[in-house]
This record gives sequence, structure tokens and C-alpha cells, in this order.
Amino acid sequence: MDKLLRVENLNKDKILHQVSFEMKQGEMLAVMGPSGSGKSTLLYNVSGMDQPTGGKVWLGDTEITGLSEDAKADLRLHQMGFIFQQMNMIANLNILDNILLPVMQANKGKGGKSKSELMAEAKRRMRQLSISELGSRQITQVSGGQLQRACICRSIMNEPEILFADEPTGALNKSAAEEVVAELLKLNREGMSILIVTHDSKVASTCDRIMYLLDGRIRGELKLGKPGNSMEKQREERVNRWLMDMGW
Amino acid sequence: MLKKLIWNDVKQNKLMSAATVFFMAISAALLALTVLLCSNLLGAISTLMDSAIVPDFIQMHTGAVDDAALTRFSESREEVQDWQICHFLNLDNSNVALDGQSLIDSAQDNGLCVQGKRFDFLLGMDGTCPEVLPGEVYVPICYRDRYGLAAGSTMTIEGQTLTVAGFIRDAQMNSMMASSKRFLVSAADYALLRDQGEEEYLIEFLLRDGVDMNVFQTAYTASGLPANGPTITRPLVRMMNALSDGTMIFVIFLMSIIMLLISMLCIHFILSLQMERDRKEVGMLKALGIGRKEIRRLYFAKYLLFSLCGAFIGLGMAAILQKPLARQLQELYGTADQGGLKIFATLLAALLAEGIILLSIRHSLKKTDKISALDAMFQAQKAGKGYGKVLLIGFVTAACTFLMLVPQNLYNTVSSPKFVTYMGIGSAEIRIDIRQIKDIDSMTAQIAAALGKDPQVRKYTVLQTCSYPAALPDGGTVNLTVEAGDHSIFPVSFSAGTLPMNENEIALSSLNAEELKLSVGDTLDLNVNGKKSSYAVCGIYSDITNGGKTAKIHNRPDTAPVIWNVLYASLEESTDRQQWMARYRGMGVDVTDIEGYVRDTYAQTLAQLRLASRVAVGIAVLVTAVVLTLFLKLIVERERYAISLRKALGFTSETIKRTYFVKGLLPAVSGIVVGLTLGNLCGESLCGMVLKSFGADSFRFVINWGQVMAGIPIVILGVAILAVWAGISQIGQIKAYECCRGKE
Repeated sequence: MDKLLRVENLNKDKILHQVSFEMKQGEMLAVMGPSGSGKSTLLYNVSGMDQPTGGKVWLGDTEITGLSEDAKADLRLHQMGFIFQQMNMIANLNILDNILLPVMQANKGKGGKSKSELMAEAKRRMRQLSISELGSRQITQVSGGQLQRACICRSIMNEPEILFADEPTGALNKSAAEEVVAELLKLNREGMSILIVTHDSKVASTCDRIMYLLDGRIRGELKLGKPGNSMEKQREERVNRWLMDMGW
Repeated sequence: MLKKLIWNDVKQNKLMSAATVFFMAISAALLALTVLLCSNLLGAISTLMDSAIVPDFIQMHTGAVDDAALTRFSESREEVQDWQICHFLNLDNSNVALDGQSLIDSAQDNGLCVQGKRFDFLLGMDGTCPEVLPGEVYVPICYRDRYGLAAGSTMTIEGQTLTVAGFIRDAQMNSMMASSKRFLVSAADYALLRDQGEEEYLIEFLLRDGVDMNVFQTAYTASGLPANGPTITRPLVRMMNALSDGTMIFVIFLMSIIMLLISMLCIHFILSLQMERDRKEVGMLKALGIGRKEIRRLYFAKYLLFSLCGAFIGLGMAAILQKPLARQLQELYGTADQGGLKIFATLLAALLAEGIILLSIRHSLKKTDKISALDAMFQAQKAGKGYGKVLLIGFVTAACTFLMLVPQNLYNTVSSPKFVTYMGIGSAEIRIDIRQIKDIDSMTAQIAAALGKDPQVRKYTVLQTCSYPAALPDGGTVNLTVEAGDHSIFPVSFSAGTLPMNENEIALSSLNAEELKLSVGDTLDLNVNGKKSSYAVCGIYSDITNGGKTAKIHNRPDTAPVIWNVLYASLEESTDRQQWMARYRGMGVDVTDIEGYVRDTYAQTLAQLRLASRVAVGIAVLVTAVVLTLFLKLIVERERYAISLRKALGFTSETIKRTYFVKGLLPAVSGIVVGLTLGNLCGESLCGMVLKSFGADSFRFVINWGQVMAGIPIVILGVAILAVWAGISQIGQIKAYECCRGKE
């Protein structure tokens, strides 16, 4: 697999210290660690939402850390997808409009897809995520799980190269969390690279690899490989043992 | 998508949206109204002056006229296009009555004339020259409402009755500030009534385009032609016409500037609150990769839509408001035939107001750049110290107090008897004019002797007016109207230097000083009986009488004939003024109560100022009420969580309300104090700037302290109390359990 994301000696104030790692195309990587370890900060700095105080980040051949704010925004719009714990959406728009918002922005100007094409694409994706009947609802009229699936739908509309997920199941109940993880796995199987920050060992055990962060430094790494259909329980136990070794 | 976003946002934030449109509308309305009234006034004056063919140069003259000399002069001057002598039969006001009401109290020189032959026409209300039949009279339009006249009313002159056939607009003397009024009669009636008054002459010249008026005036004076009276030029006629209604337009312009400032600040505040509330969403948009410009565009599009609504509503408001405000103007000057241009200018003014507001919004929107994508992840609002809202409430109340105070101060100043001292008239109670009689000097001596012996007279002075040629800096000469006498008894207001106390001193009106390019300490040469006499300029004073170009000296230097004499007097307090005046009128002179003179001269201006200050009070009250209610509502909404938390901790609604009441009212009270201070200090300079252009440059506000210290603060404070109370009323509806749900 080709290298997709490369992080070299990343520093952020007193939160991250000399963090270096790589991520391959199609990989699903989990970042774990106790509260305050710098997991989310790492995600914001790697995705270009925040500017590191040292080190470099590449997405493919593009060095993100050297880009301007507008160029980074453009990169996020076209090449990255985001899922947040709080399922942030525009309160004034319904679910369908929220899903369409970034893709319409990305297709503005000459050569972009028409509104009807984008609408059809959004509906197709919504069907895949089993939320096709929710398009006209307001964001307050759906469950947390449904809303997070709508966020996943929005994040993949621009067919990004990588998906960043910050505690995607953190605000969900057990069954909703399982639905969301299933969708992420499905996307990964289809070839989407995903970087997940999570507290949940069950979510982490579905990933190819887990990085353990403590006090802003990578303290350990666990390679799990792609999950099979029947090994779920054993993977989870392996992750839990490893986490205990890490001092979790 | 953009439409949906805007529409949904408007639906969810009705109060903020309505307030924004309100501010935009009122700003557009006032600026559009200023332009509308200004173009109405200037356009109507121009149309009237063009239709009436107002002369470029008018020499008023009392005494004999040498027609042949005038013909020779006119033929020798290439710049003269046409000329004529207009006869004006100055009547004794005590002998004239309109519908039975005597003109004895009128401060105007009322007289008869016939229609001009080739120019200087007196126009009927339909804009045409009325044909006057014997037995008929056309009355100046400014007298219609004052004396309740209509076609068919009567005018009596020494027992002879004329029927009012209609009303005329006199482009030259329409304004009450022009001291004469012309009644149009037939040539037959003029001849018949010839002995009822003193005949004066208006020697009128139409000049070719591009002629230097000063050169022509110098040539006229140098030719020794009749010049026993003031000189009036076309620009001066235009200025006199513009002054009365121009003051009201100035007040509205002042209001529009203040309102524009208030609007910009309030909209900035609303926008800041909205951005604070939208912080998370903006952060999320940034996280998703929506660019900074695009986010600014989203906000800007909404405000652009609001501004279009504001401009539309504002134009409607301006169209409604201009009707009552332009009524007097239209009556006096008619309508302007410049419809397209006027509409374009008004539209442009409304768009300018919106453009300025939109520019300030564009600037404020740069704040969205500072919102980071990380704000989507973190809930905490950036806690400000709240100085902004306190300052804003203070500023708005200060601006509204200023808005109420300045027009009121201006009105009080113009209606005060002291105002005349800024306009070139001594600070006396009574003015006695001795003009248009055979022997002015002996009549003056007789009246002065009577005043000297009169126990009811506290003090008096005699001022004699003569005309002398003065040397211009370029070597030419100009006729200077010089008032000689003791000016220290009833002094006028000086903007520089002092009054003339010695024989070789001269004080100049500010317009004269400007034209002659002289200041205090310079020397001016007068030609007295063919001899050059040098005078040191000792002071400069405000004057709008006699075309604003006058001078004052201590003693008359020769026995040259005076043009007119004026005696000023003040009476003992116990005197029955009306009885006293009647006694002196019986001696055959014009006696004017200065207060009455002010009422008469500035009646139009005062009426317009009263109207403008009422509009100002209305707008100030409305803006204070809207802004304070809105801001307090927004502040309470913003601090809903903190209020709920306090309730959960055991605070009562009343205790919390009291805190917010003080928070809202304290800056309002400070604002009132600042507004009063600024209104009395800066307001004076602002009004002074305008009045200076009319020659009244030593202008000072006459302040009615009762009104300033009690009336205006009470009104604004009352409105502020009600508005703050209304704004915080929703505190009672906030539940203690709301804080348990979190901030979202």
C-alpha cells in the first residue's frame, strides 16, 4: 500500500512532542490514550485545522503544514472528510441540505456537477447509510445515531482521500455506536483511509492499527490487520490486554 | 442553498432581522429625505428664479433717479444684457390692512408695484404672470396663511379697498428674511395710490453669463449712479430664499448623520452577537473546508438582502415624511421641474446610506476569519467583559440626547431676542426706523429728543446709515453701507475685535471683511466727500441685514445725506409696550418690537425648525426605545444560561432583574450626560458652521436651561427606563432547570 499520510516530528505547544507516524492508503488507524494525552490535538494538527508549532505533515505529496489557511480549507473540502463527536450540523438546514452543503461548495464554478446530479448522489449515499427517509427532517428531529450517519454521509460526499473521525461514537448509545462503526468499517473495506480518535477499545479493535498516545508522545503501537468476520471477540481482548500494558 | 440559509436564519431570528432592517430603513429614510428636500428646495428656487427672471444685480435706491445716466452706463457696458427700473411704493404699515387686520405690527416694508416689463416677474401660483385688473391686488403668498386670506379678501390702503384676486410668488422677496414685500397692482391703481407711500427704485440689471459681479459693481459705483440703498445680487437672493427652509434641511441632515452612526454601531453589535452565537457553526464550516471568503459571503448576502429591504422601506418613509415637511416650501417656491434627477438623487442617497452600512458590515465580518475550525469542537463561548454593549447603550442614548437637544437649542436660539445680535441688530427691545420721509434728520432729532425726555425709556441710541465708496484691494471701489453712532449702548455680537469707539475706527460685517479681504488691525480707505479717509478695522461682527454687507463707525464723518436712521431703545419694566409703541407711531415713524421682528423675520424658519425638532424628538424616542429594548433582550438571551444558573442557586427573578436594570440604565444615564454636554458644546460649533456661511459667524447657542437640564433628560430617561424594563421582562420566563441541560 502507498503512503497517504506522513507526520514528522510534530510539536504543538506543550501538548504534542516529536510525534511521527505514517498511514497507508486504505488503512484504518485508531489513536487512543487517556484524557489530555493530545489525541484530538493530534487530529486537528494533522488535518490542517490547527497549525503545529513544529514538524511537518504531508497528505500524499502535499505538505499541509506549509499551506495557507485558504489552501488548507480547500484541501479539507476536496481531499478530507470529517466526523465529529458532537455531530455538528447547521441548525437552519434540514438533513439533506446539510449533506449537500460541502459538496455544492466543492462543485461551484465551471466543470462542477449540477445540483440535480449532486442531489441524486446524496440520495444514493443516504440510501447506502439507511437514512434516505430523513432528508427533509430537521437535525433536532432525528436520533443521535441517525445524525452521525448523516455526518458520515456528508463527509464522504466529496469522495475524500482520508476520513478523520474524532470520537465518532462518544455521544452515542451502544446500538447507535455499533451502527456507526459498521458504516465506517464498510467504508474502509471500500478503500477509504480512516484516522479515528477514540476512547472505545471496541471501536479501536476494528482498526488495522492502534497508536497509544501519552503526554503528547506515541508510547506504543499495536498492529491488528484487517478484521475477519469471526475474530471480533479475540481482537477486542487483545486490544484490552495491550491497553492494560500501556497503563490504560 | 444560500436562499434557504438566509430565509431560515431570518425566520429563527425575527427580532434581530427586524431590528437590522429598521436601522437600515431609518438611515436610508433620513438621508433620502435630506436629498429630497434639498433638491425640492434648490430645484424649486431655481425654477422660480428662472421663470421670474431674477436680475443679476439690483441697486435699491431712495431719491431722484437719472434715467439718462443709467441708459448711458448700460449702453457702454458690454456685460449688460438688459436693464430696467422697477418702482416700489413703500406704504406706511399703519395705513394698510388685510381683511381688516392692520399691518402695523409688521416688521416688513410692505409696498405696491406693477408687473416688470421684461424681467423680475411676480408669478401667480400657476407659474404664469397674472393679469391684474384695476381694483385687484395680488398678495405675497407668505401672507396667505398668516392673515387667513383667500381670493375675494380685501386689502385696504388709507381707506381705499382692493380685492385680493390671488397670490404671487416673488422670487426676489419671497423669504421673510427679505425685509420688503411686494403687492402686485394694476398700473392705474399704482398711479391712484402714488401719494399713499414713498417711492423707491429697484435699478435692475440682467448680465451676460460669466460676468465678474465685483467688477460690474465697482464700475457702477465709479460711475456715480444712484446708489442710496443696499445692493443685492442674484446669489444673495438665492441664499436668502434657501436660508429659511435650509435650516430645517440642515437639522434633518444632522439627524441622518447621527442615525447612520447609530445604525452602524447597532448593526455591528447585532452582527457580533450573531457571530458569537454562530461560532460553532462557522467553525464547523471551516473544518469542512468552506473558505473564509465563502463564509463572509454567506453573512454578507443576508445583510445585502436586508439593506435592499431597508432602502425600499426607507424610500417609502422619506416619500411620506417629505409631504408635510415640504408643504411650506412648495407653497413659497412652487415645485421643481426636475423629476427624474430628483428621484435619481434620492435613490442614490438611500443607496449611499445602505452602502456605508454595508461597508461597515463587511469590515465587521472580518471577525469571522478569527473563528477557527477548532471552535466547532469546543463549546465554550468567548467571554467578553461586556464593555462593548455598555458603551453602545451609552453611545445610543448620548446620540439620541444630542439629536433632541441640537434642534431644540437651535430653535430656542433663533426664537430668542438675543439672536438678532448675531444677525447684526443691536440687543434692544424697540427699533424705530426713520425712512422714506422728506427730512430724515429733523425727524430723527425730534424722536431722539422725545426719547431723551421719556421717563419710560431706560436707554436709547441713534444710528445713522450712509453710503460711502470704499477702496477694494484690486484698486476698484465698492459702495459700503455704513452705520454711524454709539454702538456700545446696544452692541451686536462680535466674532473678532470690538466695536468702534474712536473716530478712525470701523467695524465690518463678516461678509464685507471677507470680500474686502480685511481683518482686525488692517486699514480701510473710505471716500468721504471726495477725500480719502483711513479707518482701522477694529472688529468683525455677524450681519445678515442689508445683504450682509455693512460697516459700523462711531461718528458720521460729514453731513452727507443719510439713507435711513434707526433708533434703538429699551424700556422700563413697568411700561406698557403696546401703548408706548402706539404713541411713537403717532409721530409718523415705524416702531418695531424686536421680539415681534424676530417672530416676523424668522417665522418661516421657526415653523420649519419646530417641525424638524419634533421629528428629531420622535426619532430619538423611537431609536432609544428600540435600541435599549433590543439590546437588553439580546443580552438577557445571551446570558440565559447564567440567569438560569442563578435561579437554580436560589436567586429570585426580581433580584436578577434589578441587576440587569442597573446594568442597562447606568450607561443610559451616562449617555444622557455625555449627550447633553456634547449637544451644548459641539452642537453649537456644528450649527455655527452652517450659519457662518450666511454671515452669522459669532453665533452662540441661547440655551433654555430648564429644558436642557430637566425636559430632555426626563424624556430620554423615561423612555430608557421603560425600554430597559421591557428588555429584561423575559428574565421572569427563564426556568431554573434550563442550566441543567447545558449550554446548547
